[in-house]
Amino acid sequence: MHRADGLAEEAGAVTATAVAPVVTARTGAGAEAGRGRVRFWMMLALGAVTLLDVVFFVTRGWAGTPAVQAWRTVCLAITMQAMPFLLLGTALSGAINAFVPARVFDRILPKRPALAVPVAGIAGVVLPGCECASVPVANSLIGRGVTPAAAFAFLLSAPAVNPVVLTATAIAFPGNPAMVLARLLASLAASAVMGWLWLWLGRDEWLRPAVRHTGHQEGHSRWDEFRRGFQYDFLHAGGFLVVGAMAAATFNVAVPRSVLDTFSGSTWLSVLFLAGLAVLLAVCSEADAFVAASLTGFSPLARLTFIVVGPMVDLKLIALQAGTFGRPFAMRFSAATMVVAVLCSVLIGGFLL
Amino acid sequence: MKRHLQVLLLVLSGLGLLHACLFSDLYLRYVKEQMRPMLIASGVVLVLLGVASAALDRRGHGGESHHGHDHSGVPRVAWLLFLPAVSLLVYAPPALGAYTAAREAPKAVARQSDFDPLPAASPLPITLSDFTRRVQQDRELAIKGREVRMTGFVTPAKGGDGWDLTRIIISCCAADAQSVKVRVHGGPAIPADTWVAVTGTWHPQGTLGTRSAVAALDARTVKKVERPVNAYTDDLPLVPSRDP
Repeated sequence: MHRADGLAEEAGAVTATAVAPVVTARTGAGAEAGRGRVRFWMMLALGAVTLLDVVFFVTRGWAGTPAVQAWRTVCLAITMQAMPFLLLGTALSGAINAFVPARVFDRILPKRPALAVPVAGIAGVVLPGCECASVPVANSLIGRGVTPAAAFAFLLSAPAVNPVVLTATAIAFPGNPAMVLARLLASLAASAVMGWLWLWLGRDEWLRPAVRHTGHQEGHSRWDEFRRGFQYDFLHAGGFLVVGAMAAATFNVAVPRSVLDTFSGSTWLSVLFLAGLAVLLAVCSEADAFVAASLTGFSPLARLTFIVVGPMVDLKLIALQAGTFGRPFAMRFSAATMVVAVLCSVLIGGFLL
Repeated sequence: MKRHLQVLLLVLSGLGLLHACLFSDLYLRYVKEQMRPMLIASGVVLVLLGVASAALDRRGHGGESHHGHDHSGVPRVAWLLFLPAVSLLVYAPPALGAYTAAREAPKAVARQSDFDPLPAASPLPITLSDFTRRVQQDRELAIKGREVRMTGFVTPAKGGDGWDLTRIIISCCAADAQSVKVRVHGGPAIPADTWVAVTGTWHPQGTLGTRSAVAALDARTVKKVERPVNAYTDDLPLVPSRDP
């Protein structure tokens, strides 16, 4: 019942939203900045919940149809699959915020941002998990004073270059080590290029992080800060994960796989098509190599594009980024990453495969 | 979102995971068996986080006003987390079945060049993938005239007679489901998604041992069987899918 905000801040929030008392009661002062965004997601959530209500209570017969059941199964499957990794990522993000002093990153990363970018990209090797874990971690890195370009290079490379994912790729493509190497190099290249691109063209005003990671404050228990940060990040990112899972499940159920075969004929079309498919299917980066291996009708180059683009841009990732960094950022960043990732995999794949 | 709602959300999500993974086998409808320890750990962490939040934040609410990060305004999108939690606890959707299998092209079986001699047992228990490989790739034609036994569920075939004996295989979660199918000729009409054990011999169509051969079976017996606990595999019939 009690609110965590200061009374003064609360008063401000009350005047600002006095017309909608229900909103006031639940909105903290921190959400003030992203009110438009919050409203957008609120409408989306409301829409989804209303839809589900309709599904459950009005047309019970329809809810039992195989299509809806399959949609719910896939939606739940994506959420469950991502949940441990999301928890790992948000716990790590909370820990970085509460326990790691900012000077540690100053010491590890090179002073010049242009050099820090590739170093951060290679550092992605240490985060064993899929893409859901890397978004909150990247956000807390930015909060701790790491230059955003380096944090983004880490965000993009971590899900693709860690040992777990590379091992899975090697298992999925037996006797084809070139695929593993191509994936590693193309992912590192794309993440570094995106980092430099941010240094060159990025603007800070696109970045509207929803959480202010301020680090450890004097006079507070570090464990308490860790717990609160963890809880907030999880609830926040978890909500967006469900949004992404719903979107991916919709495409998964609405578009039958047999449609794919019509695109496998042309080399260039198939590369673009599999890149698009990676975005829509939103398969976890630990599993996408197996999916790619099963797309036997496509060229190795197209399949490489699938596993390079997948961990960097997909529906649930866009939803997570929009929630964490703000929509203006997520849209520009995802579009640019898509182009860069396709180019990198075509260049490196064309050379290696 | 109010404090006590956040607590409720965390505890419900944790309980949902524990219900699906620890107290039942529900999770096998959605993810692979290997995910179980991680999902149980996640469930425990979420419950603990909720309990800690309920206990600690009640005690110290007076001193929070100038807290460094503002973590009170959890956005409304967090409400969506109630859906998977409640879904798991109350109304868990079934495993993927005939609807999904019917809409997908069959999974391509792995290539194999050396085949061991087939065991002498008759009917011979065999997996759907193995049967397909034997029919399409084995130049020794060892499968010719042999009676085999396979289990799977029924997927109504599009056009043509018979139905498809089907297995859905996942490599990570249900979102990447792929299916193997063997067309069954001459069996009785059976409703979709029923699990059956079929015995029979290869249905001659195309040249055996080449890619032109169709993975199909002339059924001799068709019996209903229990659905396996871990259904997203292509296991041998009569072999338990999971250790007890």
